[in-house]
Amino acid sequence: MNLIVKLLFLALSLTPAMTLLTWDGGVAWPLFGGITLLFDLNPVSGFFLLLLALGAPLVALPMLRLRSARVLDETRDEPATYALYALLLLGMQLLLLSGDFIGFFVGWEIMTWSSYLLLLRSPRTNLEGAQSYILFNLASAFLLLGGILVYYSLTGEFTIRAVAGLDTLQTLSLVTLFGLAFLIKVGTLPLHLWVPRSYDQAPDVFSAFLSALMSKMGIYALILLLTLFPEGLAGLFGQFLKGPAAGYVLAWIGVITSIVATFKAISQEDMKRLLAYSSIAQVGYIVTAIGVGSSLAIGGALFHSLVHTLVKLLLFIAIAGIVLQTGHRRFIDLGQLIGRMPISFFGVLIGIIGLAGMPPLPGFASKYLIYVSLLEAHWLLLLAAMILSSTAAFVYCYKLIYGPFLGHANSPEARVATEAPWQYLVPQIVLMGLLVALGIFPGWAIEILIDPVLTALGMTPIGAPAWGQLATAYGGYDGVVLMSVFATVFVLVTAIFFLLRGRMRQAGSPYDLSYAGEVPTAETPLHYGAGMGRELRRIPLVGWILNHSTQGFYAGLVRQIQAAAGLLSGLYSGNPQTWILLAVLIFAATLTLQSVTGA
Amino acid sequence: MTLHFTPVWFIAVPLLLAFLSPLWVRLRLLMPILLGAHVALFALALSWIPTVRVAPLLETIVIAPPLGIHLHLDAVSLLLVALFNLAGALVASFIWLSNRESHPFNAAQDRLFDSAQDRLRGRPAFILILLLIAGSSGMVLTGDLFNLYVFLEIAGVSAYALTALRRDKSALEAGLKYLIIGSVAAIFFLFAIVLLYLQTGQLNMAALARDFAGIPAPMQALIGLLMLIGLGIKAELFPFNFWVPDIYRGSDPEITALFSGVLVKAFLFVLFHLVFLLLADPTVARTWLMALGATTMLVAEAVALRQQDLRRMLAYSSLGQVGLITLALGFASEATTAGALFHMVNHTLIKLLLFLLTALMLRRFLSVRLANLQGLGRAMPLAAGLFVLGALAVLGLPPLSGFASKLWILKGFAEARVFWPIALILLAALLEAGYYFRWIKVFYAPEPPVTAGQPEGDWAYAPLLLIAGLLILLGVAPFLLEDWFVQAAKALLGRGAILESVLGVQP
Amino acid sequence: MLEFLDSPRVLHGIYLLGSLMLFFIGLYGLLAKRHLLKIFVSIEIMELAVYLILIALATSPGETAPILSDGLLTFTGMADPIPQALTLTAIVIGVAVTALGTSMAIQYHRLTGHVGVDAMTELKD
Repeated sequence: MNLIVKLLFLALSLTPAMTLLTWDGGVAWPLFGGITLLFDLNPVSGFFLLLLALGAPLVALPMLRLRSARVLDETRDEPATYALYALLLLGMQLLLLSGDFIGFFVGWEIMTWSSYLLLLRSPRTNLEGAQSYILFNLASAFLLLGGILVYYSLTGEFTIRAVAGLDTLQTLSLVTLFGLAFLIKVGTLPLHLWVPRSYDQAPDVFSAFLSALMSKMGIYALILLLTLFPEGLAGLFGQFLKGPAAGYVLAWIGVITSIVATFKAISQEDMKRLLAYSSIAQVGYIVTAIGVGSSLAIGGALFHSLVHTLVKLLLFIAIAGIVLQTGHRRFIDLGQLIGRMPISFFGVLIGIIGLAGMPPLPGFASKYLIYVSLLEAHWLLLLAAMILSSTAAFVYCYKLIYGPFLGHANSPEARVATEAPWQYLVPQIVLMGLLVALGIFPGWAIEILIDPVLTALGMTPIGAPAWGQLATAYGGYDGVVLMSVFATVFVLVTAIFFLLRGRMRQAGSPYDLSYAGEVPTAETPLHYGAGMGRELRRIPLVGWILNHSTQGFYAGLVRQIQAAAGLLSGLYSGNPQTWILLAVLIFAATLTLQSVTGA
Repeated sequence: MTLHFTPVWFIAVPLLLAFLSPLWVRLRLLMPILLGAHVALFALALSWIPTVRVAPLLETIVIAPPLGIHLHLDAVSLLLVALFNLAGALVASFIWLSNRESHPFNAAQDRLFDSAQDRLRGRPAFILILLLIAGSSGMVLTGDLFNLYVFLEIAGVSAYALTALRRDKSALEAGLKYLIIGSVAAIFFLFAIVLLYLQTGQLNMAALARDFAGIPAPMQALIGLLMLIGLGIKAELFPFNFWVPDIYRGSDPEITALFSGVLVKAFLFVLFHLVFLLLADPTVARTWLMALGATTMLVAEAVALRQQDLRRMLAYSSLGQVGLITLALGFASEATTAGALFHMVNHTLIKLLLFLLTALMLRRFLSVRLANLQGLGRAMPLAAGLFVLGALAVLGLPPLSGFASKLWILKGFAEARVFWPIALILLAALLEAGYYFRWIKVFYAPEPPVTAGQPEGDWAYAPLLLIAGLLILLGVAPFLLEDWFVQAAKALLGRGAILESVLGVQP
Repeated sequence: MLEFLDSPRVLHGIYLLGSLMLFFIGLYGLLAKRHLLKIFVSIEIMELAVYLILIALATSPGETAPILSDGLLTFTGMADPIPQALTLTAIVIGVAVTALGTSMAIQYHRLTGHVGVDAMTELKD
């Protein structure tokens, strides 16, 4: 019985892939009053459906083992989890396939509430986390609905297509409503409050889904927003330097988001929170690229979405495996897992290389496209800020590999942990393979995956001379060569390390640092990453960023609303005579008012 | 001999049954008959859809209007009557099925219902529910102002009695408070009727509609205000709805479900029926009614944020939805009216579901305070799941029916390019999410639940699952009832058609 | 000397004034008294005032009861029968409501020992 449920669940997780492969022809579903939901597959939605089709089964597999054998807990609510996951996939497919705004909204909302209910399944979710998740997402949904209704009042229909001949006010209201809705969903500053909380508190495997796939729906929506206007961003509010002025604002939102989130990530003590802030930062890059709006930039944004999806799936699943096996999430409780969980180690290693955007992995290729597009637009200040943020990202990437895997094991569980179960390892291996393959063949990704989307958006395709090559006007590189070089160097360095290992142990002289004081043993609690980021607070701007958060603002808002509610609830007294008195007074007042004004 | 179906049945059958049933000795047969009456009348209402679609049905009693009295069955009153009987059937069957002793497959039924707990399942409750439905149906059907007052009082008296049915301290307190405020509302309304009669010499609504414009303007304002306050108290509009949370908190949740699902809807209909009839141009009152609706909605949704008792929370949520319906009806365009009628149906179904769930929770946990319901999802997984479904529907999230009706209303506003109600409705929905999801979070809290009461039999869930199924069906396929709602909106707004069909003249 | 009283305007004015005074007395009692029975009495007084207005203003001096009998074969000079019918119905309803209210008040008193509305605080959170 249990096995059948699990197999059925895995089959359901393959539905996005099956939709992608077997879709032929549109589907229409009449709702009422002339509203018809239209579903069809186009290249843009196809690209994001591909991400979903890749990610859904890879997340589903480890969901089969949500609890470790150590924790005795009843598992009877698991069918509910599976059902909600299937609903979530259904909602996202509706969202991606729909050709009209109502279907889009339906999918958007099903995605929102089913993911919220999945979030509640985690015992770590607290009231603030759950409430901020659902309220921010519903605020986003209602802004979206508001935008849809404005769009409807302007065009008289719900079909998603370009509208011409809007005046400035109409354009501005559409852009504001839709833009705010989608920026909440992707989690840009200052609308990101819900992101770290929910990614942190969600069931560990589900965080991978939230970060890798659901944030991409916001990206999809932002790209869709551009298609509403005949000339994209360029046609909206004129030019700035060599790019669209409206996009310049969006690009700065993205870059500031990524800078702030990067520094926040560095100062985190908890693996999942670190990954959450890193997600915000990475999505910030994508938003910047969308802001640039040229074909190179959109190509870069799509490529980076693809890479970020793969990387975050890999990292979150690897981290979920560690949490499953050790029960710890903070860096200072872990360490020395490299020998015990070697595959997870490689997973995280490949993941951080992709995350940091270092060659030879495709993270480099996608960031390179974005840099080049910024250069083309002559937005050099933005380029500098983005390079600053992606350089700082190295620090947290380092923390991510050092913290759990190297150094001392700082908790009993970390000393005895074993490799994660196969359900966690299979997705990691698949993802590592995909990342390396994309690193070798960046040109393939551009020609096969991205160029059709660009063509559908009415932009010039980027093109690639060969599958192994990435080429832009500012130069390119050959993935095959690059990967070979790196692989060779890696093999060489590893070989030298193992050869010289025996000698390194014997190193030691009275002048060695470890003789200066106590000699740490394996039992001494010691963690190199502890307190990392604390010193960052002394840097002027960074310190200001780290010391401030939007949390206070939102908490204040909630307090104000609560206080207003308290005042109003004073009206609802329990005395019938007060009710009658109020009614009579209102009657008298209105009557007087009417006789005075003579209306 | 062929049976002649007339709209009188909707009022006569329940009244007759209600007055006969105290004479009936054996409870075992009586309950299914009382329950069956609602079902039969619901089926009867459905069978009338094709007829009413062609032309409204006028049932004259003794003399033709405007001298005699008549019942007016058009698409909108048929819709509401069907809804009321459905609600009555659902609540009665819930009470019947959730009584474990009178389980359909359990023989021990002819016992006395003496303890306070069981009083709800006894004969009086069923009789009073019949009376309540009869009164509400009468209010909706009647074409005559004084009969309206009579039905209003029938519904009112049965509501006061139902509130106090449990006869403990809080139920009696709620019943007395309800009776006082309800009587005051009735006096205001009666005063308005008296003034109308003295001014025009008419009681027939269509005739009044014809003659209303002839009344001097200050008198028009006075009559309008008296009516607004009388019906405003009953229909739970903002500055007159302070009684609602106390009454909803004190009475049994099964009964509250009927108040929120049936009674308020009947009064809202009466209010707007009179507004649309008497005022040749409904836009005169548009600003006032929309402002009332918007304030009701926002104030209620804000106050609900702080509630610690599920019954009070649902009471404020109900007020918020009433405000939304008023806002939409007040705008008086065809799309918003059709959407508002659809939302009435949805809200009735949703609030029935939520209040009946509250009843189940109350029996299991003996308290429905937020702090005591922690971990309810583990003790009553089905109830928690249905509560989530109801909450999603009331918030208007797809794919549930609340979404379709809210979208209809919003679309109506967007078509007219009036954007402030859209903003307020969406803001109110966000506030509403703020408290509904707080309760849902508590239901799924990891703490173990503390249950003290008896678990309910599974049969009690049957009507609830039926409601849930309807909510999903109407959400996915709202086109099933679309035509009916459009006809109903036309009937409600079609002042000319009513005047013509009753008086036989073009206005 | 009191002929002016036969003029319908004056008579109706007096009736209206008296009824409105009754209405406001009732309203005062409703708002100011705490005892449940006094509140019911006040509600009844208010209702009564409304009935009085209806009956009084619908009849003019000199009109007879609307009954056809030996000498009277046409409906001329008779009072409008509808207000009286309405008032009778309304009185019946009013009695029913008051009876229900009184019985509930008695039960409430037996249960709690209170009879005042200000003591009703059970439902407060």
